[in-house]
Amino acid sequence: MGIYRYTFNRLLQAIPVMLGVVTITFVMANAIPGDPVQIMLGPSPSQTEIEAIRSRYGLNKPLWVRYINYVAGVLTGDFGRSIFYGEPVTTKIAQRMGPTMLLMTSSYAFAILTAIPLGVISAKRRNKPTDHASRFVSLIGVSTPSFWIGLMFILVFSFHFQVLPSTNLIMPWADPVEVRNAATRVDVLVLSARHLVMPMISLGTLQMAALTRIERSSMLEVLSEDYVQLARAYGVKESAILRKHAFRNAQLPIITILGLQLTGLIGGAVLIETVFQINGMGKLIVNSIFRQDYPLIMGTTIMFGAVFVIGVILTDLSYAYIDPRVTYDEVD
Amino acid sequence: MDPILEVRDLQTHFFTADGVVRAVDGVSFDVYEEEIVGIVGESGAGKSVAAKSIMRLVEDPGSIVGGEVRFKGETIVSFEEDENGERTESEEMLSNREMRERIRGREIAIIFQDPMESLNPVFTVGGQLREFIEINRDVGESRARETAVDMLREVGIPEPSERFGDYPHEFSGGMRQRVLIAMALACEPSLVIADEPTTALDVTVEGQILEQVADLQEKYGTSFIWVTHDMGVVAEICDRVNVMYLGQMAERADVDSLFHDTKHPYTDALLDSLPRPDQTVEELKPIVGVMPEAINPPPGCRFHTRCPDAREVCRRTNPEPRDVSGPDERTHRAACLKHEEVFKVDYSASAPIENETSAGFDVGRTSTDTGAVDADGGVHGSRGGADE
Repeated sequence: MGIYRYTFNRLLQAIPVMLGVVTITFVMANAIPGDPVQIMLGPSPSQTEIEAIRSRYGLNKPLWVRYINYVAGVLTGDFGRSIFYGEPVTTKIAQRMGPTMLLMTSSYAFAILTAIPLGVISAKRRNKPTDHASRFVSLIGVSTPSFWIGLMFILVFSFHFQVLPSTNLIMPWADPVEVRNAATRVDVLVLSARHLVMPMISLGTLQMAALTRIERSSMLEVLSEDYVQLARAYGVKESAILRKHAFRNAQLPIITILGLQLTGLIGGAVLIETVFQINGMGKLIVNSIFRQDYPLIMGTTIMFGAVFVIGVILTDLSYAYIDPRVTYDEVD
Repeated sequence: MDPILEVRDLQTHFFTADGVVRAVDGVSFDVYEEEIVGIVGESGAGKSVAAKSIMRLVEDPGSIVGGEVRFKGETIVSFEEDENGERTESEEMLSNREMRERIRGREIAIIFQDPMESLNPVFTVGGQLREFIEINRDVGESRARETAVDMLREVGIPEPSERFGDYPHEFSGGMRQRVLIAMALACEPSLVIADEPTTALDVTVEGQILEQVADLQEKYGTSFIWVTHDMGVVAEICDRVNVMYLGQMAERADVDSLFHDTKHPYTDALLDSLPRPDQTVEELKPIVGVMPEAINPPPGCRFHTRCPDAREVCRRTNPEPRDVSGPDERTHRAACLKHEEVFKVDYSASAPIENETSAGFDVGRTSTDTGAVDADGGVHGSRGGADE
């Protein structure tokens, strides 16, 4: 079975999972205490006003009818309207998805690009000073909360040295005309990078630290395998052994962990977006909870659910790509 | 004719938290051109470590601490002593880089015991073969590919050009071991070290592979060191045999002399312990006791704790293998004091040691160890009995 068929099957399997996500989200949102209508209308509204709002949002119907309506809406891409903004939830998500995706992917890239070389070097120089240094960095990274790193960064680089901006993100693909202080595409890219660097490192440090340790132990395990010894016995250079004969096998646990850590990354994004005042999904979800903006809470939660499900599918796909023993047939 | 490989007094020790394990403790042997030399012994005798030491592939916490290994005029291992008796690696030893570029794969190739673990699961079989040929024969990619396919055909892989792109998990254990043999021979080395290559395979496959190796050895004129614990394999394939016990050499002889004119009680015991179809479980003769650990070897002759011929003198003297050949025999060495005229000791006057009942108790770790071996022997025996 080919990779396309496998991907298609995995996407099919994701449908019931997403239906579960929608159901749980709907039930949880309705179980939250408090009445959204009262929040919308402020103190002491008239009974007619309340009734009008209720029927406008369909809140006067029984729960199961509302559930069926909601699922039907979701299936056609309609997540309802935000109570606070008055705009469709999908519009709001489309506006906010960009910064969050940029933040999450760049954090992952930062984590992977630092953790893999660090882990490999640690394994190669096992119990030597480099290894101890990397262990120290990892330990600090795992035990420091991301928001604290973010706050410290702002304190040092934004307030004290005033070298980096502490708020907002600028998309690298933004139109130079609409970006302040930018005349050309290069200006936009530089600005974007300057805004991104602190939130990216704050969010990626935890992943980087954990991945470094896993990369190290995974490399050590592979380096003691018979096939690595065999390569050595046939005169393969140590550098080629690390780069080729051991490296690929050692990445399997890393991929598994990357998929699982996606939840941590999503949770971290909520915090980091709040710390750095980034108008992304994380901040949207936090604010909609404060405002009891139910359609928006549900929409953003389901969206994060979808991101995670897609992440897991990508994990499995890359697993099968790296390890020929994992065939696309096994899932059925 | 000079031997292509000379090993003299090789010592490889492992430095563990519990103490120094003397896995190989003063082993000497030679390999001549176009011959198959066996290294036989029980598990833990140090055979594999000796084999890996020849290629300097011993890994932490092990290291080669003494002796000499010379291969076709190159010095693989050599030590020199300063005035304080401190041993340091000699200048003339090949550097690690020279070992990699001149010896490993190119001159000496190795076949590991476990074919299931010896091939990299994420690369194709052909790709791995091709890479090693490219490195060791200085040929380009397409030429290496042709050689690889030819060699796969040679070792009996059907449709080799189709199988070239398959991954290791698509091959059976026997097929994988054939691939590893192809790998070794394709690099055209002068010497192949086969470290129990058929142990993990079932007997019919083992038979086929032994036959094929014997044919290929004749065709290519490669020398082999065949490490095994199986006397049957030795009889089938080897020209000369070295019997190892607890890191040392017990006996060395041509294969015929070894089987028909055995001169060391340990070799005798090994041959006696082979199960035969005409024996019942009760008639099996396992070697009494367990092999002591190499971390704390017994004083005197290392086999005296289990030896049926042991005498008091064996407790005190650890004999080197010496020439005990009879008339019309090529060199036959044995490390046993019962050849008293050669070793110049008073063996016959020495009081015998009673090992039959006490074996394993004085030296083996605990009495339960001995029990475990007996139970193990019983299991093997009952299986043999059921077959009849």
